[in-house]
Amino acid sequence: MIEIRWHGRGGQGAVTSAELLALAAISEGKFAQAFPSFGPERRGAPVLVFNRVSPNSPIRARVSVAHPDIVIVLDPGLLYITDVTSGLKEDGILVLNTPKSLVEIRSELSGPWRLAVVNATSIAREMIGVPIVNTTMLGALARATRIVELDSLTEPILERFGARARGNVDACRKAYEETETGEPAGIVPKRPKIFEGEELPTWQELLPGCVLTKPGSARQYRTGDWRSERPVWDHQRCIKCGICYLFCPEGCVKQTKEGYFEADLYYCKGCGICARECWTEAIKMVEE
Amino acid sequence: MVKKMIGIEGSFAIAEAVKLARVDAVAAYPITPQTHIVERLAEFVANGELDAEYIPVESEHSAMSACLGTSAVGARTFTATASQGLELMHEVLYVASSMRLPIVMTLANRAISAPLSIWTDHCDAMAVRDCGWIQIFAENAQQAFDLVLCAFRIAETPAVFLPVMVHIDGFYISHTIEPVQLLEQEAVDSFIPEYRHPYPLDPDRPVTMGAFGPPPIYTEAKKAQEVALRASKAVILEVWQEFSLLSGRHYSPVEGYEAGDADVLFLIMGSFSETAMVAIDRMRAKGQKVGLVRLRLWRPFPVQELRQTVGKAWVIIVLDRAISFGGRDPSVLKSRRRFIP
Ligand code: SF4
Ligand code: SF4
Repeated sequence: MIEIRWHGRGGQGAVTSAELLALAAISEGKFAQAFPSFGPERRGAPVLVFNRVSPNSPIRARVSVAHPDIVIVLDPGLLYITDVTSGLKEDGILVLNTPKSLVEIRSELSGPWRLAVVNATSIAREMIGVPIVNTTMLGALARATRIVELDSLTEPILERFGARARGNVDACRKAYEETETGEPAGIVPKRPKIFEGEELPTWQELLPGCVLTKPGSARQYRTGDWRSERPVWDHQRCIKCGICYLFCPEGCVKQTKEGYFEADLYYCKGCGICARECWTEAIKMVEE
Repeated sequence: MVKKMIGIEGSFAIAEAVKLARVDAVAAYPITPQTHIVERLAEFVANGELDAEYIPVESEHSAMSACLGTSAVGARTFTATASQGLELMHEVLYVASSMRLPIVMTLANRAISAPLSIWTDHCDAMAVRDCGWIQIFAENAQQAFDLVLCAFRIAETPAVFLPVMVHIDGFYISHTIEPVQLLEQEAVDSFIPEYRHPYPLDPDRPVTMGAFGPPPIYTEAKKAQEVALRASKAVILEVWQEFSLLSGRHYSPVEGYEAGDADVLFLIMGSFSETAMVAIDRMRAKGQKVGLVRLRLWRPFPVQELRQTVGKAWVIIVLDRAISFGGRDPSVLKSRRRFIP
């Protein structure tokens, strides 16, 4: 049995990719499973999704995948905020969406697993018109692991995407052609735990009824890590009305001494609401 | 300290206990056979005998929700319900116990529809068996009065901080007039100290209650709750002990009647055990070695006390006033000793 863990962000379609993979495998007569592990569901928040695929026996395990054979990362930014290789088996494979080359990535990440890279964001932009890479990464996965035939993915994608299916099928094919794979490298470097907020209280430490006596218990959640675009203010156009400040769902827009506004990038998740609400169009969202 | 015996309806005796406990808030919706309790409390508030906030709500779901709020700000809180009303507030019961709010509630046990029935059984009690409340059964109006008083003291003990449900059989207790000894206000005041929530909802010292709990927190929270509920038994024993000094009436998690040398034991909860005592007296008079085990503390379940009281009996006959549809021998379970937990 092959176990797969997908790392994506809310809204990137990781759940859909895992589902399509399972459907493709099942259509080949294999046994397969796909299920998500959600936190608080929000666009941009890191999400995990799991697959299991077995050529010949039913799958009974109904539990998160802790020691995957394959890890797929939909969002390049996730590499820097979470340990995507956690538990990845020695002979496993890491499939990354990244604009970087295999050599560049090797200098950042090395371990006793194989690597496969593809610039899925640019493929998706070109073939589908939006930077949603879930179907694109399915092509990369099929190429790097041969877990399903490329053709088996077509039918589920066509069924799922209706009018937009053609672009998704093409993106999947293009990624299949462009994916580069590399052999295992040396020793796994100990990655620092960058993900904060992992120290959770035990039952003895919780106050009765889980009362929280201090505000800001979510202060350490660096929602800024979710961002793929950031707001940039144009002071020429800004009339200091404060609408952006009022509408920011993170409450992270602050007023400067001069009366202009800016985002605290530790928390700004790049949702673009400020830019949409600003009626003088003083805010532009630019790619990170 | 102890007043003379008076004749009083069970519901009104409970209302007296709630008044003596100086509750700060009552939120309730009337439902037979509980209505007399909260009607009497509404009168007390209206005529100035009880200085409390009486919150008439539009449903039992709202009643328990209002109780969450009043208890969370640090107000001593009481409500009562039965049957369908209890079912309607079901989800909020879990919130009360999980948020560790020491609400006291009387449940006038009543059957659940359909067909529509206002009469007594324990199906309502069994439907909320696992909601995390301390649950105690009374057998008569005197016990109802006593156990409701004790319930406030137990619930509000800092080591406990859990809601308490006192079960009384509808009509057999709620609507029965019988002799009851009330207590003087000073005695009750010394028995039940002021309620202090350690982290109340207070605009000057804000806290968050009922926040989001992802699985790693939720599991820890449930463990803490279970430990607290199990540990509450020690406090319950202490409070009942202290109450016996005050009133001369003693309560235990499991109480026997002619149980010591009995070969055959009945196991009963609630008012029916008094009726069973009549039968046991008659059978004993004929030389039959029968006795009775009365389960007073239902949650936390008193396993050790039950084992002790069962003693060496050969047969235990469980008279259960609830049906577990599709379960095993639910209503009258004849069981050999080894099947008893
Ligand atoms: S909404 Fe636009 S115009 Fe108003 S303060 Fe913000 S940036 Fe300036
Ligand atoms: S993009 Fe704008 S609205 Fe969204 S989080 Fe950042 S500052 Fe707030």
